[in-house]
Amino acid sequence: MSRRVLLHVGTPKTGTSHFQDVLFRNRGRLREQGVLYAAERFDAHFLAALDLMQLPWGGLENEAVGRWDALAGQVRDFLGQPGDRAAIISHEILATASRAQVGRALASVGHPDTEVHVVLSVRDLVRQIPAEWQENVKHRRELPYGRFLDQVRDPQRDSAIGAWFWGVQEIPDILDRWAADLPPERVHLVTVPRPGGPRDLLWQRFSTTFGLDDLDLDVEPERVNPSLGVPETTAVRRINIKANKLVPPAAYRPLVRELIAHQTLSRRTDSPRLTLPPEDHGWVAELQQRWSAVIRERGYDVVGDLDDLVGDPPPATYADPDRADEAQVADAALDAVTALLVENARLVRTERDLRAELDETRRELERAFLRPTYRWREKTVRRLQGSRAGRSALRVYRAARSRSSRSA
Amino acid sequence: MTERAWGWVAHLREGGTTRWRDWTGSGPATGPVLPGAQQLELLRRANLVGRPSAVLAGRILAVDPPRRARPGLPLVDGPPVPDHGPRPVDPTTVPDTELTRLAAVLLAEEVAGHTPSPPRRGRLRPWRVRYHLLGDPEHVEPWRRHLIARGRPPGGYGGRVVVVGTDTGRMLVDLWSAHCFRHGAVPWPQWLARRVSRGDLPGPLDLDALARREQDRPEPNRVHVVTDPALVGRLVGVRRGPGLPQPMAASAVDLGRRVCAVLRPLAAPEDRARLITDVLRPVLADAPGLPLAVPSAHRAWVRSEAERLHRQLGRGRYPVHGDAGLVLPVDRAGVENPDVAETLALALRLLLSAALTPTPEEGS
Repeated sequence: MSRRVLLHVGTPKTGTSHFQDVLFRNRGRLREQGVLYAAERFDAHFLAALDLMQLPWGGLENEAVGRWDALAGQVRDFLGQPGDRAAIISHEILATASRAQVGRALASVGHPDTEVHVVLSVRDLVRQIPAEWQENVKHRRELPYGRFLDQVRDPQRDSAIGAWFWGVQEIPDILDRWAADLPPERVHLVTVPRPGGPRDLLWQRFSTTFGLDDLDLDVEPERVNPSLGVPETTAVRRINIKANKLVPPAAYRPLVRELIAHQTLSRRTDSPRLTLPPEDHGWVAELQQRWSAVIRERGYDVVGDLDDLVGDPPPATYADPDRADEAQVADAALDAVTALLVENARLVRTERDLRAELDETRRELERAFLRPTYRWREKTVRRLQGSRAGRSALRVYRAARSRSSRSA
Repeated sequence: MTERAWGWVAHLREGGTTRWRDWTGSGPATGPVLPGAQQLELLRRANLVGRPSAVLAGRILAVDPPRRARPGLPLVDGPPVPDHGPRPVDPTTVPDTELTRLAAVLLAEEVAGHTPSPPRRGRLRPWRVRYHLLGDPEHVEPWRRHLIARGRPPGGYGGRVVVVGTDTGRMLVDLWSAHCFRHGAVPWPQWLARRVSRGDLPGPLDLDALARREQDRPEPNRVHVVTDPALVGRLVGVRRGPGLPQPMAASAVDLGRRVCAVLRPLAAPEDRARLITDVLRPVLADAPGLPLAVPSAHRAWVRSEAERLHRQLGRGRYPVHGDAGLVLPVDRAGVENPDVAETLALALRLLLSAALTPTPEEGS
């Protein structure tokens, strides 16, 4: 009888949104087939990860208190039932967990008595570095690409950018923390195929690693994290610079991140793509080679090919987002303005409809108030409120009426 | 080098203050992983101030840095490190900001270890004055708690609206402090710069706008604006109030800001508010030091906003209790930006004094 916990702990920008979306939409079917993905909402495992690592996250942490223990409890209960069973926990920010937090996470799901596997999906840094900057821009950051790269290159990593980037992207270090207590055959690296590979190859690799191959699942992508081109990312960064002081975070997410970035600018696919600057390919290639050597030496299970971690060579023409083509940025900005106008028109219509409903409600209320006795009562109350004695009389009346209402 | 590092750990656990670069002793490993340079330096700094208990020393060495801070760093000239991972550092070069963040995590854990007391609610007084309090949160909140504890909760039909304010510079510091103690906030200079760039006074401090909004309600309540907080009592029907709140030391608010930011994921919102009010704030309120002041770069803006408010209060169709001129800025001693070294010193004093440490009954 097999009992397994599969902990998918990263890394960001490796198809994790799609993978988690498939698990979430199919959680009922998975459970019937002996696989637990315990989530009552799409971001349930994100909340659990915030709780485990005690991370504040724009107010979401309010909903996270106690989530990890609850999730781990569900996993233990499920694995305690008869039959072959597996439980999956997946979130990419788990990659930053400290050794102490990893120890707590493993113990809470039953390690060492339970068979725990750690899965890390990985992608070459040539794509990860620009993708991470773009993600920062979509989260209100204002810093130019050049300054982001300076902070990523800084060996001291004493900036928030550097500390976070290497915390979630440095594969051997993540495995030092997550896999130190596990035999190498229980540590799986899923490589993201190189650009141009078959569309469903990454899903196949996930499916094999998590033992989902023979299960009946709906794997059509519904939730993805689309990427932007160079002028589009520059346009969003400039919007951040202008609007951050004026637009509160609660409005930024639906208007800028979702409407402008994801729903509008991500559709512009013929603009130059964001890439790593040519001068950074050298150190990145050297670093990836060292990481691949560590992975081979440790004997982890690699699902895919470590050569996938060798990034593509630099493009013939590099499009620098800090010196983006102004005409292209203006065009992207116009698309953003148009999208906001369309959305604003929808909101104006909604407001008009709501106002009409409100006016109708008021009219009905007034009709109810126009009964002959109402005006007389209103006049009496106003007159009584004008004097101390009158107010006292009203209080006595209201107290008596509410007592009589309660008894009625 | 590994023995030298573990020897230094033991030295620090015993209260030693020798810097890593001057350390020459050695000792056996006492754990699976060497603590990070930041944790070791924080313990050394604590040893310079007092004598941490063995438990506190253990907590310092094991504490995880908060979000987006560097993980535990290896020691330069310490045990061999792999090619990957953070690079080794000399612990004395770790900035005070980073050490303060670690100390804030430890203090937040102590605060979260308390059992929040239920809110004090006195027996409802049927003859109480019905009221709603608005305005400067550092004045309004103590009044609200004081009145609830005495059976006079806010609300009720026909209540009077009391809008409380004081001098505009103090109100801005108060609003930022209230944000800090609610959920953490961006540092004071950035927060104020954002407010200035938006143009107007923040909503909770625009006493005239608050009063007019209340008057424009379909069922207008009787609105009173108070510029001298000592006069609130008679408007809400009590003789004695909670006492006028004194502004906290700048380092105390800065530490509160850092602790509350870390506390967010540690306690549910309803518990957190009570923990902050009942446990953290009273301890920080006693910290010595000058309060915050408006930075010189923004004084002209504050003065012009205060003068606008003064004019509007003079024209308002509501009674103003106290001189309307009390909203104009007051020159008082203060610091324009909290000094992180002072914040760290305060954090270490609190850790060593165990002022926030829950009693065994509370922690159980």
